[in-house]
Amino acid sequence: MTSVLAEQSLRLSLRQTLQMTKRSTLEIVRQPAMSAPSMIFPIFFAALGASSFGKTTNLPGFPEVDSFLQFSLAATVIQGVLFGSISGAAALATDIENKFFDRLLLAPSTRSGIVLARLAGSALFGAFQAAFFLLVLWPFGATIRGGVPAFLVMVASGGLVSLAIGALMSSVAIRTGSAEAVQGAFPLIFILLFFSSAFFPRETMSGTYRKIADFNPISHLVEGLRDMVLHQVTMGSIAKAVLIPIAVCIAATMVALSALRARLAAL
Amino acid sequence: MSTVEFHAESLHTSTVAVGRGLMLRGLRTIRRMPSAFIPSVAMPVFTMIAFSGTYFAITKIPGFPTDRSANWFMPLGICFGSSFSGIGLGFSTIRDIETRFYERLLMAPVPRRALIVGPLFTAWSRTAILNAFVIPMGLLLGARFTGGILGVLALLVASFGIATISVGWGLGLAYRFRDMRAAAIMQLTVFVVLYVSNAQMPMWLLSGWVHSAARFNPATNILRLARQGLVSATSPDHMAWSSTWGGLVAIVIMSAVTLAFARRGLDKLDK
Repeated sequence: MTSVLAEQSLRLSLRQTLQMTKRSTLEIVRQPAMSAPSMIFPIFFAALGASSFGKTTNLPGFPEVDSFLQFSLAATVIQGVLFGSISGAAALATDIENKFFDRLLLAPSTRSGIVLARLAGSALFGAFQAAFFLLVLWPFGATIRGGVPAFLVMVASGGLVSLAIGALMSSVAIRTGSAEAVQGAFPLIFILLFFSSAFFPRETMSGTYRKIADFNPISHLVEGLRDMVLHQVTMGSIAKAVLIPIAVCIAATMVALSALRARLAAL
Repeated sequence: MSTVEFHAESLHTSTVAVGRGLMLRGLRTIRRMPSAFIPSVAMPVFTMIAFSGTYFAITKIPGFPTDRSANWFMPLGICFGSSFSGIGLGFSTIRDIETRFYERLLMAPVPRRALIVGPLFTAWSRTAILNAFVIPMGLLLGARFTGGILGVLALLVASFGIATISVGWGLGLAYRFRDMRAAAIMQLTVFVVLYVSNAQMPMWLLSGWVHSAARFNPATNILRLARQGLVSATSPDHMAWSSTWGGLVAIVIMSAVTLAFARRGLDKLDK
């Protein structure tokens, strides 16, 4: 009897989470002004980098590439996904600001589903963004040597990165209840991207900067994706592209859910 | 002294006095709302560190104007910061319009041009603070002025020039849009204009569409002016008149155009 009740409760929670996921995904679709910059800016920076750094691919330490655009493809995907991942957390903070969050709490619905649905919406958008960047840049010389399997792993990685960063930002949203605070915390993530090998190979760096890039998980994530673009899909590249975001995802989701529990306890 | 001369002199004094008053108000805002000013100082430092570290290897390209990446990217960081000091005044003007404080300024019996001169003075003060912070930071990170005191002067002229252009642009947009929609346009245009130039690489290393656009972009000449005291002494751009006049002309023309744009916007706001 108890197990049947637990199963029914789980099903109900899943159904409610699914409905809220639908809401958060539709929100992204219905407010293109919120998501458009995260689609346009990375493409602009990719085009800018291809023209600006096109003649640097012969530098010692640079991997063998067809073009700088091909080299920067992985960074474009991660940059875009990072930009986009903030929108879910900012929307959650807006829900808290305009009291919609309180209405959800009043309803007899799952608590963790409120956060998980936002994260699921972010993950779907991240995967969509990754596919969009790969397809848009492909005709301009950003070919993926790893073929369709690499494409699929990159799309999945985009979704996972978005989920991981979305979870981190959601904990800020839940703790502060301010969309401005979420926007303010985001540059920290962006700094992490710059202090990595996302935009230039690690082999060409030196000194302290090189050491920071060596330790930065974003370096390894981008290099995993880049391996698939420049070579073939290997277990090593999949591990870097998928396992790193999964590890961050688990830790960040736990932090977000604990922030939610703390907020509920304070009510 | 004739009446007309007296009137002109008092109007001038009034413009400067009111401008100074508005500048002091703008400077107080730094203390009261540091979050509005800190990004314009943090951003150039971040740009300088991140770009110098990431693109360190570009200085190894044969013929690159300098062997220190900090020398190449410090002027870019300062120009970015100066432009944000300028458009920051656009943001605060939007805030004043939205909170209706600007209506009080418009009702005050002061020359209209003082409402543009005031933010201009504020932007110059902010740019001075920015340079006083970022240049020593750059020196700590390894940047060296190869052009001596004249090299520093060239960088400061470019920095103050960009701040002037940005103030005009920011105010003009603020007066026309009168809400925060203008802020996004200000930031976007500044980013695009500064990036689609020789911001990251010298002209001869650029290719494709950026090379074509950078040739016509006035920011290219301003950055050349800013960098001339930091490139190697063997570089043709080092402390040369050919690297100077283009930047000065670009600053004068762009400042005149954007400040006129701001003045016309203010006149429209007045109506």
